[in-house]
Amino acid sequence: MAVLTVDGIDCYYGSVRVLENVCLSVEERDFVGVLGPNGSGKTTLLRSISRTLKPHRGVIFLNDADIYALKSVEVAKQMAVVPQDNVIAFNFTALDIVLMGRNPHLSRFQMESEKDIAIARKTMELTNTWHLAERPLNELSGGERQRVIIARALAQEPKVLLLDEPTVHLDINNQLEIMDLLKDLCIRRGLIVLAVFHDFNLAARYCDSAILLNDGKIISMGNLNAVLTSENIRKVFQVDAVVKKHPITNSLYIIPISMPKPSLSRKLSVHLICGAGTGTTLMKILAEEGYNVTAGVLNVLDTDYETAQLLKIPVTSEAPFSPITEETYKVNLEMMSKASAVVITAVPFGYANLQNLEAAKEALERGIPTFVIEEVPIEQRDFTKGKAEKHLTELKSKGAIFVKNQNELLSLLDILEDKLNMTKELSSKIPGHFKSETNSCEVDEVDGSKSSNF
Amino acid sequence: MSTNGVETTYFRRVSRWKLLLIILTVALVLTIIISLNVGFAQIPFSTILQILAKRIPFLGSLVGSSNIPYSAERIILEIRMPRILAGALVGAALSAAGVVYQGIFKNPMADPYVLGVSAGAAVGASLAIVFGIGFTLFGVNTMPILAFAGSLVAVFIVYNISRVGSRVPVTTLLLSGIAVSIFLSAIVAILQVIAGKKLHAVVFWLMGGFSGVEWKDVWAILPLIFIGTVIIYFFARDLNILSLGEETAQNLGVDVEKVKKVLLIFGSLVTAAAVSISGLIGFIGLMIPHITRIMIGPDHRVLLPTSIIVGASFLVICDAVARVIVSPVELPVGVITALSGGPFFIYLLRKKKESYGV
Repeated sequence: MAVLTVDGIDCYYGSVRVLENVCLSVEERDFVGVLGPNGSGKTTLLRSISRTLKPHRGVIFLNDADIYALKSVEVAKQMAVVPQDNVIAFNFTALDIVLMGRNPHLSRFQMESEKDIAIARKTMELTNTWHLAERPLNELSGGERQRVIIARALAQEPKVLLLDEPTVHLDINNQLEIMDLLKDLCIRRGLIVLAVFHDFNLAARYCDSAILLNDGKIISMGNLNAVLTSENIRKVFQVDAVVKKHPITNSLYIIPISMPKPSLSRKLSVHLICGAGTGTTLMKILAEEGYNVTAGVLNVLDTDYETAQLLKIPVTSEAPFSPITEETYKVNLEMMSKASAVVITAVPFGYANLQNLEAAKEALERGIPTFVIEEVPIEQRDFTKGKAEKHLTELKSKGAIFVKNQNELLSLLDILEDKLNMTKELSSKIPGHFKSETNSCEVDEVDGSKSSNF
Repeated sequence: MSTNGVETTYFRRVSRWKLLLIILTVALVLTIIISLNVGFAQIPFSTILQILAKRIPFLGSLVGSSNIPYSAERIILEIRMPRILAGALVGAALSAAGVVYQGIFKNPMADPYVLGVSAGAAVGASLAIVFGIGFTLFGVNTMPILAFAGSLVAVFIVYNISRVGSRVPVTTLLLSGIAVSIFLSAIVAILQVIAGKKLHAVVFWLMGGFSGVEWKDVWAILPLIFIGTVIIYFFARDLNILSLGEETAQNLGVDVEKVKKVLLIFGSLVTAAAVSISGLIGFIGLMIPHITRIMIGPDHRVLLPTSIIVGASFLVICDAVARVIVSPVELPVGVITALSGGPFFIYLLRKKKESYGV
């Protein structure tokens, strides 16, 4: 049976509609995360459920009673709220504050009895704050204060607990401690938890279900797997994200990748020889900078392969854990020769991907400027008994440019881009075969200017 | 046992509160008796005790009254006693209102006059003095009545200006209180200009004091202040919870708007009652709650009664000082409270962090 039902509410601040036709129902033992971008109406939803902001339309039922028809004391016996900011006007001690949670259960002239103190103590022990009982709340740290406030909410002995970003001030250990506690209360005592979260991963780890809000409307609601999809995240946050199941916690986790940046566009196209994750950040940066990026040869399931898929970068791929076949080699070389530069990352070389270096050599011979990022010395990542090292030395002698890191590469690519633009202008005046020759000539220049660095 | 330490301390604190209240009440009674001895006419303390004892039923008949001079009895019972009790009542009322306003506004600068009570009373009293409107109506001095009416009208205006729907946001309330006060102060200034010979009386009233207070004034304000403070005390725990913020208080079962309304009405009522006979006495409502909070902590269930008793004693002492410090001339008591309140105010500004805890 649904304990809490929100039936088609609209909420306004002045004339601005903040929530539109929100419906949801929550049952005992539910742990529900309310998610959404800033200003999507999460806190407003909590405020209207907590009988603070009366909706203009629609009804909220708590155990079949319209909460706005109930007295606030009646609601307070069943529902507690942990707000986002907890500034307290006077120097009350932590115990005073927690005892205030007993207010709905006390009549006007009743002083707190031993029973109330016992309840306060129990909730403070649960939140690990009993040792702070006699300290003034305003002298406690953010995390301690938050735990005292949660103890106060629990002292109300509620059936429903609403929390507005309960872990936002907390360290990671406190975050997990509080979330474990809430989860435990949820499972063992049937407490309903409805909490606003900013941290998707925390929500994903503890919530059974989620509500995704955007612009005051529910975009998606229900089981976590159905709500936390990369499509939903893109729709609401305009962010690409990877959603996966974590091998250890067995819960979903979300990694935001990037905001699509359509603004920049460059003429230069770059082909990456990478693998084992060495190309991931570079792919992202180059794509963001507006370069046309291609990559290969990469094995399917390789981290870089997955990143490329996500960023929609064309890749020449090979079957998982397989050496590069002759056919793939040719396809890759074809792709490479369309690029205006080739970049070799500090990828480890084994017999399965050694051919990539041969391809690079061929591309260099065809006059395509080649860059080698040497973040890790080749000796440490050559698993071909020196063959890869030999290839690299050869590349160097043929004019490949060795750079120390990504930033150096990016600045060189920048220069190359400028020159390319200039020669484009030139080649519109001087027709024919000149183009490729000028290109390689420039690269020599660049090489010369940088050679003193290594 | 150490595991029960916190609980024991908690309950011991409650019984300590009761003890403290008893001690303070005894101190108040002693202050009143001692200050009966203070004044231009020298009346021996033994005589004062005899006069008082005579008024106590049963015991009175045992006290020999033959050697008490009639004049001494008149001075003690008809002049000093009503004035001292008025001082105690006004001190109690202003302190109670101070606790209420600081609690509602969560602002250490709030005092009983923030909502325009003082300005309204000043307009009412000035009108009565300057135009001498039926100076005695049905045998009652109209000045306190006009002062009382003026302060309630001012609060009513301030309240309605700041009301947004059914809510009364604290910031708009403070702001409209200031705005209305400024406006009414301008009217008082105009009245002072046209007051002519009566200017002295207006200024003297504005400075506040208890000279000329009679028993009937005491009886007029006693029920208002008594009922007002009792009703305020009903909401002491709600005031505690309000310090968590209005939304949280609502979530803890406090009917915030109702509580605020009741407290504002009765806070203003007791202030208006006090002001109507004493004129404007500053700093009591600001200072006393602060001092008491530093002494016993922020819990309004003990802060309110303690402030009432401390405020009563303080104003009785101030009035006694005002009577004799430049004898035979009497200073307005408002001067004494302001003289002690000014330095205190500076102290407060410097100590604000510790005493207020923000």
